[in-house]
Parts: sequence; C-alpha cells; structure tokens
Amino acid sequence: MKQITLTPTKFSSIALEFDELIPDEIYGWSKADFEKYEVPVGNTRFPLTDYFDIEVEGEAQSPEEVQMIIDGDAGRVKYIGCKMGAGEIIVNGDADLHAGAEMEGGSLTVNGNAESYCGREMRGGEITIKGNVREYAGTSYIGEWRGMSGGKLTIHGNAGKQLADAMSGGEIHVMGNCDILAGIHMTKGFIQIDGDVTRWPGGQMKNGAIVINGRLDRLLEGFEPEGIVADPVVEGKEFTGKYIKYIGDIGVSGKGTLLLNAEKNRHHL
Amino acid sequence: MVEYILKNGIVYDPINEINGEKKDVMFMDGKIVNSVSDDAKVIDVTDKLVMPAGIDVHCHLAGPKLCVGRLYRPEDERRGVKPKTDITRAETGFSIPSCPATGYRFSRMGYGTVVEAAVPPLEAKHTHEEIIAIPNIDIPPLTLFGNNWFVMQFVKEGNIEDLAAFVSAWLKITKGYGVKLVNPCGSEAWGWGMNVHGIDDPAPYWDVTAREVIRGLAQANEMLGLPHSIHVHPNDLGHPGNFPTTINSIDCMKDIEKNSEYRNQTIHLTHAQFHCYDGTSWRDVTSGAQPVADYINKNDHVTMDLGAVTLDETTTMTADGPMEYDLYELTGLKWANKDIELETASGLVPFIYSGRNPVHSLQWAIGLELALSIENPWQVALTTDSPNAGPFIRYPRVMSWLMSYQRRTEMMDNKEVHAWAGRKSALGTLDREYDFYDIATITRAGPSKIYGFEDRGNLSAGSIADIAVYDLEPNSFDPSRNAAAVEKAFSNALYTIKDGEILVKDGEVVKVVSSKHVRTEVQGFEEEEKRVLEQIMPTFNRYYTVKFENYIVHDHYAEPSSIYKVNASK
Repeated sequence: MKQITLTPTKFSSIALEFDELIPDEIYGWSKADFEKYEVPVGNTRFPLTDYFDIEVEGEAQSPEEVQMIIDGDAGRVKYIGCKMGAGEIIVNGDADLHAGAEMEGGSLTVNGNAESYCGREMRGGEITIKGNVREYAGTSYIGEWRGMSGGKLTIHGNAGKQLADAMSGGEIHVMGNCDILAGIHMTKGFIQIDGDVTRWPGGQMKNGAIVINGRLDRLLEGFEPEGIVADPVVEGKEFTGKYIKYIGDIGVSGKGTLLLNAEKNRHHL
Repeated sequence: MVEYILKNGIVYDPINEINGEKKDVMFMDGKIVNSVSDDAKVIDVTDKLVMPAGIDVHCHLAGPKLCVGRLYRPEDERRGVKPKTDITRAETGFSIPSCPATGYRFSRMGYGTVVEAAVPPLEAKHTHEEIIAIPNIDIPPLTLFGNNWFVMQFVKEGNIEDLAAFVSAWLKITKGYGVKLVNPCGSEAWGWGMNVHGIDDPAPYWDVTAREVIRGLAQANEMLGLPHSIHVHPNDLGHPGNFPTTINSIDCMKDIEKNSEYRNQTIHLTHAQFHCYDGTSWRDVTSGAQPVADYINKNDHVTMDLGAVTLDETTTMTADGPMEYDLYELTGLKWANKDIELETASGLVPFIYSGRNPVHSLQWAIGLELALSIENPWQVALTTDSPNAGPFIRYPRVMSWLMSYQRRTEMMDNKEVHAWAGRKSALGTLDREYDFYDIATITRAGPSKIYGFEDRGNLSAGSIADIAVYDLEPNSFDPSRNAAAVEKAFSNALYTIKDGEILVKDGEVVKVVSSKHVRTEVQGFEEEEKRVLEQIMPTFNRYYTVKFENYIVHDHYAEPSSIYKVNASK
C-alpha cells in the first residue's frame, strides 16, 4: 500500500490540472519523481513542489494499492481523478471542474464541494461528494449525446442544473436538493433524489428511472400519470411508502419511470 | 536560387508513363527541372517510393459547413488533440479538424492540392477566410450552381449563352475554380419542405428538372471551356434503388461536346458510393455498383470519385438539405440545417459507421467494389467525400484495402464487417489489386487530368515541384500482404515537398506556408457578363439579404498568383 499526501502550500488563481496524477500513472513514482514532475497550469507547466508539500509512504505494485490524499483546498485543481481506473483519491477540501470525469474504476472522495462536470462520462468506480456539486454532474461532455454509463455517484449535498444529462447507465444518489432538468436525455440508469427538486426532471428521457423523495415543484407535460404505487422496487432498491408513478417523456416516445413521493407531492394529484 | 536533387527514388509518374523507374527528380525555384548543376542539394531517397504530391478531387475542408460542424460538435474537437510545437499550432478534431490541423494532416499524407467541393456563393467569403487559415495545401473551391435561382431562370428560358456569362461572372465573384451541382432542383425544393426524385421531377414553382439543369450547366461549362467539367452530386443520394438516377444523370448529357484539351470527361460523378444502391428499402438494399461500373466502362465522357466508407464515427455535411433531414430521421442524432437564400440549402448530422451494422458494411463494400470494377483507373479518383463517408486521414487505409485482396477477405471472414458486405455486393469475388502505379493514378495523375491541372499531378519539367516521398521500397515490398504497413507509410510521408520547399520530413511538419486559392478566370466574356449582371440585378436586390457590393469576394481575400486564365471559345 502506498500513501501519497499532497498538502497545499500555495494557492494558484489559475487552475492546476491533475489528470496525469492518477493512480494508474503514479503507482510506481517515488518522492523524487513527484518533485521532478511539472504540473499543467493554464497554458504552461510549473513544478508540483511550488504548490504542494509531498509525502510518499509505502510501496505499490499496482494502481489498486495507491491512496492519494490532497490534504486541503483543491478548489482550483481541475481534473482530479479524471480517467482513473483503480486506487483511491481523497480530497480534504473542495475540488474544481471535472472531478472524477471519465472515471473507469477506483474511488474518489471529496470532503468539500465539487464544481461543475463532476463525474462527467463516468464509466465505473465510485465518487462520493460530501458537499454540494454544481451543474452537469454525471453528465455528458458538451455536445456529446453519450453520457455517464456506469459506476456510482453519491452527493451528500445539493446538485445543480442538468444532473446526469444523457445518462445511459450507473447510479446517482443526491441526498440534498436538485435543480432543474435532472436526467435530461437519459436512456438508462437510476437517479435517486432525497431532497426537493425545482422543476422538469426527466426532460426527453427515453428510459431509466428517477425517484424523488422530496417535493417537486413543476413537472413536464410529457409525463403520463400511471397511478399510485406502494413500496416500489427500483433497480433492486426498495422504497417504502406511496409514490406517484409517471411514464415519459412521451414527447420522444419515452418509457422512463418517474416516481414522486406521494406524501410530499399531493399538489400533483 | 537553391537547386535540389531527389536521388535514386523509385518514381511513379503515370502522366509521363513512368512506372517504378529508379531515377532522380530535380527541382529549382519551386519548379521541376530536367537538370541541375553540381551544387544542387542532394536528398538521398534511394529505393524509396516517389510520386507527385497528392491531389484530392473532393473534400469538405473550408467554409461555413465546417464552422457549423465545429460549433455543434465540440465532442469531435476533443478527438485528435495534439499540442503545439515550435513550428505548428495545436491541433484539434477528428472528422472536422481545426483549420491548421487540416493543412498539417494533408501535408503529412503527402498531399499538395485539395479541392473544396461545395461553396455557396453567398458564403464564398467565409470559405476564402478559412483557406487563409489552412496552411500547406493549395485549395481550388468549386462554386455551387445546381439550385441557383438565376440558373433556374436561364435554364427555363433555354438561354445557354446568358447562363455561361452568369457562370463566368459568378466564378469571378466567388473566386471559384469550377461548377458544382448538388442534388439539382432537390435542394431548391427543400425550401418548400420537399425533395425531387429522379432527374425528371421538376422543382416546385420553377418547373425545371435536374435533367435540364445538368444539361444547361454542362453546355455552359463547355462553352466557357473551363479546365474542370461539371462536378455532379446527382439526385437521390443515399436512397436504396438510386442507381438508375445516377446513370440517367450521366447519360442525359452524353451528347454534349467537350471543349478542353487536357481533361477527357464532360461530367464528373462525385462520391459515387452513395449513388450506387439497388433495392427498394434499407431491408432489401443491395449493391448497384455493377450497372454503374458497366456504364462507366463503356463511356469515356465520365469520371468519378469513390466516396469510400471508412467505418468511423464522422460528421455528414452537404448542400443536399433534404437528404440530411432523411438522415436525421434515420439516426435521431443532432441535425443542423441552413437555408442559403437563392442558392442552396445545407445540412449536417453526425454519423457513426460501424462494421457491425449491415447497411454500413454494405456501403463499405460498394465503395471498394466500384474502384475494383471500373477498368480504367484514369476514370477513378480516391475520396471519402471527407468527412461524409469518413475523415480524409483514412485515405491511406482505403489505399491499403484497394492494394490487398487478402486484407479485404480477412475483414469479411473475421467479421470486422457484417456479412451483408459479402452477401449483397460482388466485393468478395473481385481479386483485383491496385499496384503503386494505379494508386498514383487515382490520387495524382487522374485528378490532375480531371481538373485540367497541367502544372501539377506530374513530374514533368516546368510543373510545380509538389512531390511526395514515402518510406516504402516498392521493389522489395508486397503491398498485398502488408496492408498495415501501406497505411502507415502513406499516412506519414518521408518528405512532402510543396513548391520546392520541404514541408514534411519523417512524417512531421517542419515548415508551414500559406495556401493558395486556386481559381479560374474566363477571358472574353466581359461584355456578356456585364449585360447579364445588369439584367439580374433587380432580382438580386429584391431577394438577397446582402448588398451586391458586400457579396463579392474582394481581391484582398486571395493572392493573384494561382489564377488559371481560360480563353472562352463561343
């Protein structure tokens, strides 16, 4: 087991990019390798040691045996864990754009907030955000119609707009509230939102399932009510209580499932 | 004055009937010469493959369609990212690369001239601006005429002389090289939400048919004696059962006499693969390549390019608006549509060609079947209608398929392509293999003839020194057993020489020069042009959203050095 600890020493207002510092690349690196390494900053590179104190303990034979800890604020560090396939990354602070984007395996934990595009095009592995995330979490790349296809994204706080755009697999669990258009263009997969949702979940969804345990302000016209169901089971997960079931979005002949907690959504009945 | 000598290469120069001879190629001041002094710089290319630089007869690489594509497909731009170097700028994009990347990539493949195949006159300024941004290749733009209101009007009146004057004036206005027709009458019908089917289906309101437009523009083209013939994308592109339309489009103007000494054809059929389908629907579609190839084998007034499918994720873009709508209906992917006022209508849809898909596999087979069934390679040019059937960086792969029966059978046997490729086309039965001379013909000499480029596509003394050297030794190399090596070598030229300057060495761009805007100017039609302009100006002012003064591509857009002056014979 190898533990790499990066302690921030200097803040850069221009974002650093960390997509090269994933366990798959660095499991064999010694402390000296890190000290030699220059990190991309804007359109140039500077030594990593300008920004972090580096500690390396233990040895790793494979990426699975790596634990990398960013022990402090990484609010201006982009692409943390981007494209990682194995191992573990922990951020004891905030993370900037594209945290865990295109992730294939392993785990990423952010003990603060994450910026937009967290878990973009995720294919596997697990991301846990203890704070809030901004827009486009678990979504596709801009313009792309193929989004998150696997893995699990858990957000303990609130999520921003267009959560899970074009999702085609995997699971997203938002424990807080969620802004507009969660699960837009979704074709498969499962989204659970425990808090309140402003409006329009599931716009143009073709398939998949969205469960909302809080209050939904406004629903799209493309969802047909299917009546009340008790104790539904979605993707092998049991939900207790009564839920209003909808099928949609009929605007695109969609067969997606939307379940609203009946107790909190009496205004839709 | 620097003299160069490329020493001991194995030269393929079909225009001069040089078929793999070991000889030296000499050049000075950007031109090929017969002899140089002893002070000449020697570039040793002993036993390496030497050809004139490549000429692409049909590519979409500069203009508004590309810009729309880049804007609405950012997910394509992130494929093919390459950081800047001391010489080159950063590259982005796969099917619709950034302007600098387009130039570098063609240059790396040993290409020197690439035709931009569809320029709406209204957007010609934009095209020339992009040509300024694309380095290292000469670009002749073809101007779109097939759905132009003024063309419709002259054709309806049967007034070929005024039509010729209009074409001549509009080539000058747009700084274009030749006459392009895209789905004649169909893109105009798209303005009413319609399309035309076959060459005798009239456009709404105008009551003019594709047959009349093709014949009219062919007559005007020959009246002007333009270096290139009309360049036709016929009706019914991509519809099962379209091959009779294709043959009719070529046959309907067979009687029109050629007025050019250099080229052999009076019509160029473009991206033929998309026009050679038999059957009635996508369920019972089969290859229609054989009847079209038979027709071309029996008639020498026509040349064609392949539009070969490369089985990649790409972006379709054409001035065939209704076809793009059909494609959008078929795929459900994002669709962009543009109405170009009095001229045409274009569209874009991303497309994923897959070897697992039966239809795409059949399309792949048809492209190759055409190339292998047409006996005379001088009537064939290699294209992928880039990016419609695949991006241009795949040309070397298409070459490797044409050169290797073994590779083609292997793909069909080990399921790299769906069984439809073998079952519904004759590809499996064609064991013909192109050799290096044939490849030089379909990518250099033939295109040079087709376009009337007397000064390129050959290594004759006096021609511009556009030369490509590849890291292959033809005398000790069997292309039919080494498809991957063929693709690699043609993708990374050992040397690309443009106008006597070394632009690429060992597959890397070592020098960047600006591109030339190659165009024609007709001499001797000035009076008629003036009269026609005066005549159409009221319609222009009434219907166009721009003023005529702002419509013209002004001289500062393009340097005057690469104008082909043509003397019209009336």
